[in-house]
Amino acid sequence: MERKIFLKNTLAALGLAAVAPLAVSSCGKDTDTTTSTTSTTTDSTSTGTGSTTSSCTVTDTETAGPYPTKTPSSYVRSDIVDGQSGVPLTIKITINNTKNSCKALSGALVDIWHCTAVGYYSEYVVNPGGGYSSVDYTSSHFLRGRQTTDSNGLVTFTSIFPGWYSGRAPHIHVHVYNSSGTSLLITQIAFPTDICNTVYTTASDYKAHGTQDTSNSSDMVFSDSLADELATVTGSVSAGYTLTHTIYVAA
Amino acid sequence: MKIIRLIYRKLIDASATKPWDQLLFEGSWYEYLLQAQTFNPEKKYNTFAELMAHVPNADRLHFLVTPAIIGYLKQLNGRIPDITNNIGKTFLPFKNFKFEIVNSDITDKNKHQVAVNFISEPLIWHDTIGHQLLVTTNNEPENGETLTEILTLQPFLSIYSIKA
Repeated sequence: MERKIFLKNTLAALGLAAVAPLAVSSCGKDTDTTTSTTSTTTDSTSTGTGSTTSSCTVTDTETAGPYPTKTPSSYVRSDIVDGQSGVPLTIKITINNTKNSCKALSGALVDIWHCTAVGYYSEYVVNPGGGYSSVDYTSSHFLRGRQTTDSNGLVTFTSIFPGWYSGRAPHIHVHVYNSSGTSLLITQIAFPTDICNTVYTTASDYKAHGTQDTSNSSDMVFSDSLADELATVTGSVSAGYTLTHTIYVAA
Repeated sequence: MKIIRLIYRKLIDASATKPWDQLLFEGSWYEYLLQAQTFNPEKKYNTFAELMAHVPNADRLHFLVTPAIIGYLKQLNGRIPDITNNIGKTFLPFKNFKFEIVNSDITDKNKHQVAVNFISEPLIWHDTIGHQLLVTTNNEPENGETLTEILTLQPFLSIYSIKA
């Protein structure tokens, strides 16, 4: 692309703007498949472009398909496990609108993210040492996801029971946007302590890490708002758990 | 014999013409508008540069916008785009990448500019011929010969790492 700009500028300066599209076909590294017609043109055009020809690379001559299709953002998915091990957790969040008699808000975007069974976020495990980091595109954003609320204001995610990390009670982060993408609320969901204790002392992926070091009542986020942010969680370690929670936004 | 990994930094902005580039541009722009609100609740700043200068942790936006483009990376089937061998085929295998927001402005889509840094899987470097590298992606001989690739060194393509 940058070469195209360069070429366009060069050609314009030479008063050859009229042939620029052909020259771009011959030299642009972004061009798609070429045909024999284009190749012919390439030869005659490149003669005229002089020194710029020497910086060209061979044009991609293979099939350009399958053509890219518009995929939804990779956040948009209900299963956010991505290979992380832990006790299955189904997360059901209902979004209600305080500006509409607390009725369900449909079409809202709900982002959630939480840590692994041993307390790591995908955002920070990639490169704990800092510096230039790259990630494997097949597994870089585990335990993060987005869903759009249905007519009942409900979104459902398939995940694992979150672990905990020092200084915080177990939690799930939630960011709610309206259907046009305007941020409405950033909040967190707390877990019942008795269920956390069961999972953290008996489930194999959690046992070694032990029980949380911060209770809900002493947590800096939940201490003043636990009544609104505590989820209902049912189930068992063997069968998995289901979390249900309602969040109120002003939309 | 040395093992090298190449890095290709693919810049994409509003002037993108290829479908894949345009989709990635649109996807990252939309996601940027969503995610940037976390760091800019009062809309005090317009540009990404201002966010980076004034808001702690705004550099998290690189990571937070990334999922919006992963669907498009998957469509590449593990091959770095644009960089072809000397017979005109893309061939560089990759798994790792790093997405970056170069510039953006919540008031002007035309100022949105992103880059995908593609980091190739390890290649065996055999020789350099002029501006071209002779490499193999799979150094296992088949029927007594090892198939090779020749590619041209070019802008935005560099050697990411080297291992003797």
